[in-house]
Amino acid sequence: MKLLAELSEGIRISLDSIWTNKLRSFLATLGVVIGISFVVLMGWAISGLDNALQDSINLIGEDMLYIDKWDWSGGKKWDELRNRKNITYQQFKQFSSDFNSAEVIVPGITNWGATVKTNNVNFTGVSIYGTSADFARLPTGNIELGRFFTSFEELRNLRVAVIGSKVARSLFPEQNPLGKYLKIEGQDFMVIGVVKKQGTMLMDFIDDRIYIPIGSFFNLYGGKLDRSLSIGIKVGSRERLDEVREEARGIMRSIRNLKPWQEDDFSINETKIFEEIVSTFRLYVWGIGIGMTVLAFIVGMIGIMNIMFVSVAERTKEIGIRKSVGANNRSILLQFLMEAATLCLVGAFTSIVICSILVFLVATFLPKFIPETGFLQPFLPFEFVLYASLVAILVGLISGLMPAYRASRVDPIESLRYE
Amino acid sequence: MNVNNLNRNPLIELKNISKVYLVGEEQVFALRDINLTIYPNEYVAIMGPSGSGKSTLMNIIGCLDTPTTGEYILKGINIRELDDNDLASIRNKEIGFVFQMFNLLPRANALKNVELPLIYAGINKSERIERAKKALISVGLEDRLTHKPNELSGGQRQKVAIARALVTNPSLILADEPTGNLDSKSGEDIMRLFHQIWKEGNTIILVTHEREIAMNAQRIIRLRDGRIESDELNPQKVVFESVEE
Ligand SMILES: Nc1ncnc2c1ncn2[C@@H]1O[C@H](COP(=O)(O)OP(=O)(O)OP(=O)(O)O)[C@@H](O)[C@H]1O
Ligand SMILES: [Mg+2]
Repeated sequence: MKLLAELSEGIRISLDSIWTNKLRSFLATLGVVIGISFVVLMGWAISGLDNALQDSINLIGEDMLYIDKWDWSGGKKWDELRNRKNITYQQFKQFSSDFNSAEVIVPGITNWGATVKTNNVNFTGVSIYGTSADFARLPTGNIELGRFFTSFEELRNLRVAVIGSKVARSLFPEQNPLGKYLKIEGQDFMVIGVVKKQGTMLMDFIDDRIYIPIGSFFNLYGGKLDRSLSIGIKVGSRERLDEVREEARGIMRSIRNLKPWQEDDFSINETKIFEEIVSTFRLYVWGIGIGMTVLAFIVGMIGIMNIMFVSVAERTKEIGIRKSVGANNRSILLQFLMEAATLCLVGAFTSIVICSILVFLVATFLPKFIPETGFLQPFLPFEFVLYASLVAILVGLISGLMPAYRASRVDPIESLRYE
Repeated sequence: MNVNNLNRNPLIELKNISKVYLVGEEQVFALRDINLTIYPNEYVAIMGPSGSGKSTLMNIIGCLDTPTTGEYILKGINIRELDDNDLASIRNKEIGFVFQMFNLLPRANALKNVELPLIYAGINKSERIERAKKALISVGLEDRLTHKPNELSGGQRQKVAIARALVTNPSLILADEPTGNLDSKSGEDIMRLFHQIWKEGNTIILVTHEREIAMNAQRIIRLRDGRIESDELNPQKVVFESVEE
């Protein structure tokens, strides 16, 4: 009860004294405001990134394995990878007949940077992606409009195309693309479907794809193109990932005629790799940010400490009065600690307001100029308000400790003697 | 000293109290060997020239300060054995201070100022407000509750300070030159108030330079160079009181 009365009195005094010295308080909290803003903004960027990452993983599916000539992790030497033999369509055929513990197996072969034409538009920078009809059973094969090609169309090497949402927008603006034709390498392909827009920050290339039957792909490019196939395996559940990976590895080794002492000449990639990429990126952000934040907080704490010392010096008389009517040292200590904490808390709220506005503006307008920043969210995650407040209170308590201690030791006789 | 009080327990007892300050190498005796007993509902004036130790004595009696040597017993409690927290709580419960400079919180209104001791007593808000109002009414400031000190006259400020001293129902009211900063009319006002407070059963110790003010008290103690020079009943007051009763 006594503590409660003193606490509410403490808050009242704190707000009163902050309000009386508005400008001074504002300047004193500047460092804290900047420090907290750094933390909040970094956290916001990273949480946006994490969400984008999760989107990408969800898009591909956590249960996907890709047998590929290339290694996604970037951990292997490029020279070494380049010397690997391509994975061929025959090897894929054999693999899919030998291997039967997966939900879906699809081949994929890409020609990047291709140019396609319609009557009046030239569109560069698309990737032509040859695959099988089973691709429709992957999350990335979700259809928005029309349909994916069937295995009949695949086996007959028909010239049909399923296009990514960005391709659709660019080639057929404001039109229904279904039934329209586009030219790839001079050959007409009929558009039969549009894939759902799926671009995330990490995978926006996916909306630039044109999917065609894999046989048609070979017909188009034949021997001109020295490309390795990639084999996509949808395992069905994350738990079976390890088991399936080992099995796939064994089968692939025997298909590739590897001797027991030879290393794998292919990689088995999975989405986990994205998490690693993002986590290093996250480390960079924190690494740069933490340095600045620590600096801002140190400056901020010195500011708070300084202003609290001034406040104690100005109010020795008040302290004397309080002591003469029965305040003990602890009450005075508490009062000034609370004042420092309240000061910082006000700083925290200021920075949250500033950051909210900033974040809203940035997330609304920046992606219009830099589409890659589309992963940013226009609001601060709620828990940040909580964390920022806790950090502020802590900073206030730490930087208020010395001034508050000095206040608690004020000699009431001395302070009341003079006017 | 006061014959009427022989059969009662003393409120305070000072035994061989000295207060020594070290100024450089030199020892300054603010108080030397003070012996003093005061009973409940006494009205005591302390007089003496400047520097004679009046304020020092008041601070020791008010538990703001502790003596260098000697014993101080308040309501049977030996003050020497108490720590800072206990002293704060004694000041809160047993003592009401009134200062020459009023010593009000400048940014708080009259009501808030009077509430202050009750905050440290841990009394809840509604009771605080009620008791602070009552105290302000008893000093005649019922229409100045929300005025800040700078919106009040000197006499009114001192009345707020008196209300603050009274609000905890302390055992002892200590007033160090309460009229020193007031014109004579406001001073008389304040002295009338002290008289009324004393009549209600309170114990008052009052420091003053002025003989006229001291004549309001029942007992007059004179200090010189930190010693008690004289300690006698005020014949006027005693006669006056006995006539009244
Ligand atoms: N903190 C201190 N350090 C040194 N000497 C002190 C201190 N406080 C008081 N004194 C000395 O103690 C003596 C008594 O001081 P005190 O304030 O009690 O006098 P006073 O009777 O109240 O005087 P006044 O009428 O001027 O208020 C003085 O000589 C003073 O100089
Ligand atoms: Mg004095």
